[in-house]
Order: sequence, then structure tokens, then C-alpha cells
Amino acid sequence: MTAKSLVLTGYGINSEEETSFAFETAGFNSQIRHINDLAENPNELNDVQVLCIPGGFSYGDDTGSGNAFAQKMRLTLWDHLKKFVERDTLTLGICNGCQIVANLGLAPAIDKKYGERFVAVTHNLTARYQCRFVDVAVQDTNSPWLTKGTKLHIPVAHGEGRFMMADETLKTLKDMKQIALRFTKPDGAMANGEFPFNPNGAMDDIAGITDPTGRVLALMPHPERGMFNWQRDDYATLKDRARREGKALPETTDGIQIFQNAAQYFGIKAANEAA
Amino acid sequence: MSQRIEVITVSEDGRAKVLEQNLAKTGKKISARIVDVYTVEDDIRNAANLQALSKSFVNPVTQKLLTPGDEGDFDWALEIGYLPGVTDNIGHTVSELSNLTLNDNQPVYSSQVILLKGTLNEADVKQIAAGLHNPLIQRAEIKDAKQYKKDGGMDVIVPKVRLSNDHLVADDVDLNISDAELTAIGKDGIKNPDGTRRGPLGMSLLYMQAVRDYFKKLGRPAKDIELEMLAQSWSEHCKHTIFASPIDDVKDGLYKHYIKRATQEIRAAKGKDDICVSVFKDNSGGIVFDDEWLITDKVETHNSPSALDPFGGAITGIVGVNRDCMGFGQGAKPVLNRYGFCLADPNSSPEFYRGKGKQNKMLSPATIMKGVIHGVNHGGNCSGIPSPQGFLYFDDRYAGKPLVFAGTVGVIPRDINGKKGHEKKANVGDLIVMVGGKVGRDGIHGATFSSVALDEGSPATAVQIGDPITQKKFSDALIKDIRDLGLYSSITDNGAGGLSSSVGEMAGDTGGFEVHLDKVPLKYPGMQPWEIWISESQERMTLAVPPKHIEKLQALLAKRGSESWVIGTFTNTGKAVIKWHGETIMDMDLDFIHDGLPETPLVTTFTRGGDAEPKLPTFDLKRDMLAMLSRLNICSKEFVATQYDHNVQGSAVLGPLQGKGRVYAEATVSRPVLNNPRGVVLSQGLAPLYSDIDTYHMATASLDIAVRNAVAAGCPIDHLAILDNFCWCSSEDPERLGQLKRACEAIYDLAVLYQTPFISGKDSMFNDFKGYDANDNPVKISIPPTLLVSGIGVMENVDQAVSLDPKMPGDLVYLIGQTRDELGASEFYAMHGKLGNNVPETNGAANLAIYKALSKANKHHWIASALPVTLGGLGVALAKKCIASGLGMDLRLLSTLTLDKYLFSESTGRVVVTIDPKYKQDFEFLFAHDAHYLGIVTQDPALSIDGVKINIADLESAYKNPLKDF
Repeated sequence: MTAKSLVLTGYGINSEEETSFAFETAGFNSQIRHINDLAENPNELNDVQVLCIPGGFSYGDDTGSGNAFAQKMRLTLWDHLKKFVERDTLTLGICNGCQIVANLGLAPAIDKKYGERFVAVTHNLTARYQCRFVDVAVQDTNSPWLTKGTKLHIPVAHGEGRFMMADETLKTLKDMKQIALRFTKPDGAMANGEFPFNPNGAMDDIAGITDPTGRVLALMPHPERGMFNWQRDDYATLKDRARREGKALPETTDGIQIFQNAAQYFGIKAANEAA
Repeated sequence: MSQRIEVITVSEDGRAKVLEQNLAKTGKKISARIVDVYTVEDDIRNAANLQALSKSFVNPVTQKLLTPGDEGDFDWALEIGYLPGVTDNIGHTVSELSNLTLNDNQPVYSSQVILLKGTLNEADVKQIAAGLHNPLIQRAEIKDAKQYKKDGGMDVIVPKVRLSNDHLVADDVDLNISDAELTAIGKDGIKNPDGTRRGPLGMSLLYMQAVRDYFKKLGRPAKDIELEMLAQSWSEHCKHTIFASPIDDVKDGLYKHYIKRATQEIRAAKGKDDICVSVFKDNSGGIVFDDEWLITDKVETHNSPSALDPFGGAITGIVGVNRDCMGFGQGAKPVLNRYGFCLADPNSSPEFYRGKGKQNKMLSPATIMKGVIHGVNHGGNCSGIPSPQGFLYFDDRYAGKPLVFAGTVGVIPRDINGKKGHEKKANVGDLIVMVGGKVGRDGIHGATFSSVALDEGSPATAVQIGDPITQKKFSDALIKDIRDLGLYSSITDNGAGGLSSSVGEMAGDTGGFEVHLDKVPLKYPGMQPWEIWISESQERMTLAVPPKHIEKLQALLAKRGSESWVIGTFTNTGKAVIKWHGETIMDMDLDFIHDGLPETPLVTTFTRGGDAEPKLPTFDLKRDMLAMLSRLNICSKEFVATQYDHNVQGSAVLGPLQGKGRVYAEATVSRPVLNNPRGVVLSQGLAPLYSDIDTYHMATASLDIAVRNAVAAGCPIDHLAILDNFCWCSSEDPERLGQLKRACEAIYDLAVLYQTPFISGKDSMFNDFKGYDANDNPVKISIPPTLLVSGIGVMENVDQAVSLDPKMPGDLVYLIGQTRDELGASEFYAMHGKLGNNVPETNGAANLAIYKALSKANKHHWIASALPVTLGGLGVALAKKCIASGLGMDLRLLSTLTLDKYLFSESTGRVVVTIDPKYKQDFEFLFAHDAHYLGIVTQDPALSIDGVKINIADLESAYKNPLKDF
């Protein structure tokens, strides 16, 4: 069984190639699609199992990151998007995609109110772009994208990644298990807002959220930039240790989990697993 | 009527908080709130429209549309907006959103109001405003709360360009005038009817005479646009006249004799192992990546504009060099950026003015530093191109002209539809198509301006701001969609000189062009034809398109949100022809444009610099080591590395910060083709201080450092190419030219020895500032002659990458290479305020043997960590390795030199490595007398040298503190 993943691009989105490569690595038939082409032929979504809005700088982050691109999607695709998330599909927003998903109201969509904005993903507390590896812990979540109880060492790269929301929204997200990922210290302890472990000052160390079904995941870190061991910031150390121990360093690492879980959800066997 | 739409942030705002923190550092306790303002030219008509549109710029969770009273308690309101004609990307986006949402494509202008609360008088607020805007491109308005409330807010200001030109024709320019008048036109420009001049042509009398004679032969006066085109085409910036002219006995000029010849000889010698594919002739240089791919590289400088508007200069630099990548062959995909900044000490506050009587104050070193860093940040990050590799170098002689280096690496298939990826050619009858943005007065005289020293007459219109998203749109469309459809025959970048350069160059393929200049789209009406032709408005490529493909090409671009315009045809008439509403306003021989410039033979002199070797104060290992680590040229630049996206595209292998202690690296490794294990190594080398003694050794050191950094990171030396960027000063002075010639001799000698070919280069010859000091005395500040050498190499598998941090306690520490008494112009002498005499002299043959051995050792994975010994010598390298790993070292140093000289000599060719003890024999056999055993890596977190211990924590704070607040 194979499934089709669609990775959006256009207007300054820039991580479509490596994100599509991640889906392919996990066994998907992955296609990169320009937003204007999808808007022209929105029925393509009927044949798609996974929609991903990857990282980038859509519209240069002008008027607040993800705002302009969300407006474009809202005006050109909203009915189709709503139908898409209501089907048994998966939706992923990474970094700029996370900001877009939040602005579109696809997540957290409390009580399945898709289209309503509940959270803002706004300027880092340092008011500066931060590109660095972080540690995030998968929370008690029902998201098929994630494996509960695991930790991911993957990078962030954003200027506006700070989750902010009203206190009652935060409480609801906690109660409904919609907080999917939190920033931690390397030893797994909560970051408690401390920089650089929490790189943007996000409320409650939130790094990613889901809709109520868990099928829509919006996260600020980049799993596709931390899916192979050679991408890791500690690669040189890992490969040196493996060599001394006479072992081969596995090709993949933490970030691949998200794409493999999606594949598993649709019963896909990755090419390398199948072989 | 125009309308202000104001958005106030109601929750905590990171931007406001950082502003408060920065103001607190200056002793002001102030709270700030930020209001984002979008001024629409015609009002938005009704509340429903506003509601619909505001969804795209108001986040209801944290913001709201401002209604009077939302401002809360404040004392002052400060608004910063753009001046007319300055690129306003945010305004442009809102205009696009308005079109999308309301079908209303009207101009929108962005600005920001900062509401300040605190004990402040008007002078304080003016001072704050001065720190937050650049008056060359921005305006600042101030109101106190009372006035603000009385007026109902800030004023509605529409920075629309209104040119009062009603006389839009090409003027005749009479050149049958005195030499003095010709000189004046060459220096200050063509005279306007009112007696003012249009800005520098940068043409010498000799050039002006050649132009006069040409038009005399044609029997007609020159048109202004013809003169302007010749000035662009013959500018130092475009023709590299200093590198091309006969110099002393070198009749074929420095470039052909030293740089190009080195590459030719290396290629011939390497034979079938030649890695070069397309060198010097295209917008970038291209070498072999593997059987399927080429990898390209180009490094540019953008110095003069960055002195005036650091942000705009730097962003234009990086986004501009991205186009040099897209303009390689049929179009390479940008995969890596590099950067480099030469700056004055950001903690210093020299006072210089461009004009007499304290007019036109130079920006402070801190403002320039922050601006140029932010420019590359915005340009690189928005374009989705990782910027892993770069440097910051400090010397106070960069106060008048900072150096801003920007480079872009690309990949391109070797075969595209059966054609070689690196080849392209415009054909007769192809349409000339301009893609990207419209044309404004931005950057008029940019090319001629960067070819002269910065002074009072430096035009502010030379400043531009890049628009990375417009470029990203057509970059993706061209490189990812259209290129492989074969819809265009040639492609090139619109950089310096604008259309005049790009069309002029491409016409070389066919032997002529005819352009209908009235077809070029303008940002605003009222531009003169000559302005349109030489404008350097950013984000434009020029294509040669066969007429049968034009419809499809334009439709594909439109589908990607990119605009394109047919502006003419490539011909074979031998003529450069421009029409303007039917009238011919240019009709020159292409040959004259390309080859008509007279040769200017150059002569040189050379005097070696340097003082006596100094007597130094008593050496204290710990104190001096910590002081060295805190020097600006040695300390961490982590704050730059983390704000540049270095892992987008998923290609980062060894990044700019290595080891868990995050030491700023001088080489990086990337895997640009995800399904291909090959790695690209990028490195850089420079040693400007050595120029004070001898530019020969400055140049060899720069090249050696670039090569060594790459090889130490795991690049085999036989798959390594280099790029040269000369930034010189006062290049009319025979002594400076003598320094230049020596530097060229030097890199010829060493490149040929190392067999590392030059594949691309650039020069910037007049990095001088002429102005006035605080006492209104004339001053001239010239940069130290600076040569940046950039390395680009390929390793077969990224598992050969070697990081700089030691890996295991118990590993052995070696210094490879010989240390000599070479502290002349070193960081150590500079710390003591001395220059000295014994500048490091590169022993190329000895170094080559080491690099070959290192390449071999890396193939066997014998080296656990490697760090070249560069600025600051062995001591600094050892300290950095300890900081990077968090592991200590226990070392005994044996040398005939005194300890201070041994630790801080900057002899080239050296690398500190650590190895697993099980490779000891193999390693020592391979490196023989070049391997000096120093000691072992320890768990104890301290660097211990001959029994003197320095804790890593102390090393780390000395290394990381100096620039951490920027």
C-alpha cells in the first residue's frame, strides 16, 4: 500500500525539497505542489493522504509570519482544506507551516472549531532568529504523528516561534492533550522558559500542538533537518564513537519518527524496511 | 484619501522587550510598545473591507486594530517609516494581500510607531530615534503624548515618489569641449540645464577623450544614455581595469598573468584529474561534484553601499550573489551562502564626517556591524539558503569602509536535456526578457560609485534594499520548473550597471541588440531613459528567449507569481541600439563598448613595511592566554552563527559551531544533494594585518589558511578549488599597486604549488574614506590591503568530515607542522601594540606534504579532531579545542622558542589534531618529523601547559563574552 503526501510550496516557502525527501524516505509517494497549482486544482486533495506545509519565509514573514500565506489559503482553498482535515487524513505544519496552520485555525481548533484562531506563534523573546538544535519531548498525546514518551533532538530555525495564548486556551490544550511537544533541557528536565533550551520563550515550553484528533500537527522544530545522523550537531561525536566501538552508525535518527509514524498510519512499509 | 491602518500588540512583544533591554543598557528605564502601521494610498472604504483585509495582518490572539485609547499610558510616540522610493517589502506584501482579498491593488506603505514611557525629554527621544533609523533611507517623526492626542495620532504620510520630470528624452552631450570640461564630466557627471551634475561617471580624461574621438568619427554628438552606458561598461567595477592593464613588465596584466595563468597551468598539469569545468567566464565558477553534478561558487563584495546603509548594502550583497549562482550556465540552484565582514571595533566610537563642517556623519562601527549582520540574516534566511560559513574580522581601518563579502554556492546537473548544464548562448532573434521586479532609481551609478573612494559626493541613490521574496519566487520558477523545459537560451543576472551590463554582455553571443526602453516597466513615472537603462533595481534576471517559447515562459512565470517583460531582441548587426518611443537614442558599435577603452599602463613601487622585533613585557601564561581569547579577531562569533539559518535544505553536516562547547569554525561541511553521500567543504582565509609588513606573505598566508581549513575539515587537497577577492585601497598609488602585484605573484606561486585552481574572483580597488574628523581636519582612511581566499572542495562521503572538537579522554594531541619565530603582525604583537618584523613566511612545499598526508589520514579516519593554527597561534587553537569539547589537555611543550613565541607564533601550515591512541604508529609514520606530540586529552576540564592549569570555564568566558551582547 502506498499513500500520497503533498508538500506545499510557493511565495517564499523553502523547505519543500527536504521535507518531501523525508516523506519519500518513509515510503510515501510524495509530491511538491505550488499553492497556485493546488488552488487551480483543489480536488487533488481528494486523492491525498498527507498534506504538509513545510518551513520557509512565506511572504518574507511580512505582517507576522504565516499571516499572509494563511490568508491566501483561506481565500483560495478553505472549503477544501476543511473537508480534507475532516477526512481520515494527516496534516503537518513545520515552522512557517506551523505558523500558517495556527493562523488558518487548523490547530488547535478547540472543539473542532476549524478556522478559528486560538493561538499566536509570534516574535521570539530574544527578538532574533534562532538556528540551533534543541531537545523536545513528546507529551501525552493521541497524535498518530508521534510516539508517546520519546525525545527528539532536532533543530529549530525561526524568528517567530513563540506560542502565546489566553490562559483558558492553555488549560484546554492541556486538558484535551493537545500539547504534543515541549522543549526540555538535554537531560529531559523541563526547560521552564529558560533560553536556549526553550529558544523562543513559548508559553509552557510548547514546541508543537495538535487539533483535537491529533491528526493535525503543528510544530516549530524541523524534524526533516534532524532525520539522518549526519544532519545532527553531534554527528562528529556519534560517528567517532561508533567507529571506536566497531559499529556502523545508523542512517536515520530522531526526526524520521514523525514521517515513519505517518507511513505506519497508512500501512506503508518504508522502502528500506521492506527490503 | 489616504488612510493609516494601525495594529497594536496587546500581549508581551519580544521586539518591544529587546528594545527596552537595549535602552536599559544605555541607562534609560523605559517601557515600549510597538504599533505596526500600514498606510494605504486610497482609503479602504468600509469596515467590512478592513475586517477582511486585517485578517492577514492582525493576529487576534496578540494584536488588535488600534482605536484611540488602546495606546495606554505613554509619554512619546516615535514613528519610523521609509523615504519615498526606498524598497518597502512589508508595504508591498500588504498591497498584494489587498489585491488578493479586495481585488484592490493599491500602493501600501509600512511604518512602525514606538510608544515610549519613561522620564524622557525631546533630546532623549531624538537620540533614541537616531539609534533606530538611518536618515538616508528612513524618516523619523516624534510627538509627545499631548500632541499625539491633540492630533488624533501620528500624521498620515504617503512616501510616494513624485518626479517632476516632464522632459523625458535623451539629451545630446557635446564632447567637443576642453580637457578640463571632459574631466569634469568624467568625474562628476553630465551637466544638467540648471548646472548641477548627474553623478559620477568614474571616467578618466583618457577614457573621455576616446569617447569624444569615437563620436567625432560618427559625426554626431553623443546621447547621454550612450555616455552612461560606456561609463558602466568601462568601469573598474565591470572591466577590472586595474587587473587588466599592463603593469610594469607584466604586459598581459595581473589577472591574465597570475590568476588565469595559474588555473591554466594547474588544469594542464592535472590532466584527466582536472576538477575545473567552467572558470572565469560565467557569473560563477564551476567544478566537478560527481559524474552527475557540478558545484558552483562565487564571492562578491558590497562595500561602498554598506558604508551608507549597512542593512541595505549587505542584503543586496547576498541576494545579488544568489543571482550570480542562478546566472551560471543554464541556471544553478543556490545551496549555500557564505559571508564575511571586515569592520572597525564595535565598542569604539570614532567620529568622522563625509562633509566639511560636521556634515554627513559616518555611521558608528556598532551600527555598521549590526546592520550588515542583519542584512545577510534577512537576505539569506528569507531565501531559504543556508549560510553556514563566514567570518568577522576587525581592524579600525575598516571604520570608513567596511568590507562585506557575500558568496553563493550552487549545484547544477552536468547534463540538461542533452545539453551541457554550464553552457548557454543567446541566439540571433531571441527576445530579450526581463524577469522579476520593476525599475526605479535605485542604485543609479552603483557600478561607477563603487569604483571610486567614498566621499561627500557619494550618491544616496546608490543605496538599495533587496527584496528576497520577489527573487525567491522567480528563482524557484526558473531553476526548479522552467530551466529543465529548455525555454530559454541564455540567462544572466542584472547586477552592477543593470540592463546596460546584462544586455550588453549577452549581446556578445549574437553581435548586437535592439531594446525598446519604453517597454521596461517602472516603479514610478518620470524616469529619464538613461536612468532606466543603468538602474540597479534589484531582483531582476535577463533571459534570451526564442520567440516560439515566449508565451509558455511568461505563463509559467505568472503562475508562480512572477512578472516578466519582453524589452527587445538580440541581433547580429554589430550595433547596440536603443529606441525610446520610436526614436533611436543609442546606436553604437558593440565592439567599441566592449573593447574601445584605452589601455592605461600602470607602474608600481614596493617598500617592505615592518618595525624592529619588539621587546615584550613578562609573559604570564594564564593572563595572556585569556586576553588573547578575548581579542575581537579570536573570540566567538556565535551570535552571528545562530541568527543565520545554517541547516535549511537539510544539508548541514559540520556547522559553524562545533563541539558541545560551540566553537566558531573556520570551515563547514554540507551535503547539498540529499541522496548523494558527497560533501562540500567551504573554507576561508585572510590575514590583512600581514599587509603592513609584506603583501606577498599576507597573500600566501590567506591562501594557505583557506586550503588548510578545508583539508583539516576532511577535504582531499586534490578536489579543492579557490576563489580570490581582492579588496584594496588607493589603487592609483604606485606603492599600493606594488603591494597588489606582490600579492598576485604570491598566490600564483602558492596555488600552482598546491594545485588548487582559481575558479572565480572579484576585486574592489578603492576602499578609502575621504572626509573630516571631529576637528574638521581632512582625513583619509584606507583599509589594510585585504585578500580573501575562499576554498570549495568535495569529499567522497560526508563520513570523512572532521570536526574541531576532541572526542575522548586519553586521545593523543599533536601539532602537525613547524613553528618558527614568526610573530610579525600577529595578534599577540598587536595585543601589545607592536607590529614587529618576522611576518609568517609560508613554506609551500613543506605545507603541501602535510596536506597530502592529512588527506590520506582522513581517508583512513585516523584523525579524531583537527583545528588549523591560524590567528592567535597554537595557544588559541589548543584553548578552542578544550572549549569545544569540554575536555581538558595535559601538555608538555618542547621548543627552542620561548613559551610565549611558541604559543602565539602564527607560522602557517600547522594543524592541531587529536587521535585515538591505536592509530599512534600509523599516524607518526605518516607525518614523520612534522608530527609533534604535545600530550593527552583529559577528563579534567582544564588546559594544562607545562604544569600551569587554566580552567576551561575561564577559557570559555574569555572566548565567549566579548561579543555576546550584540
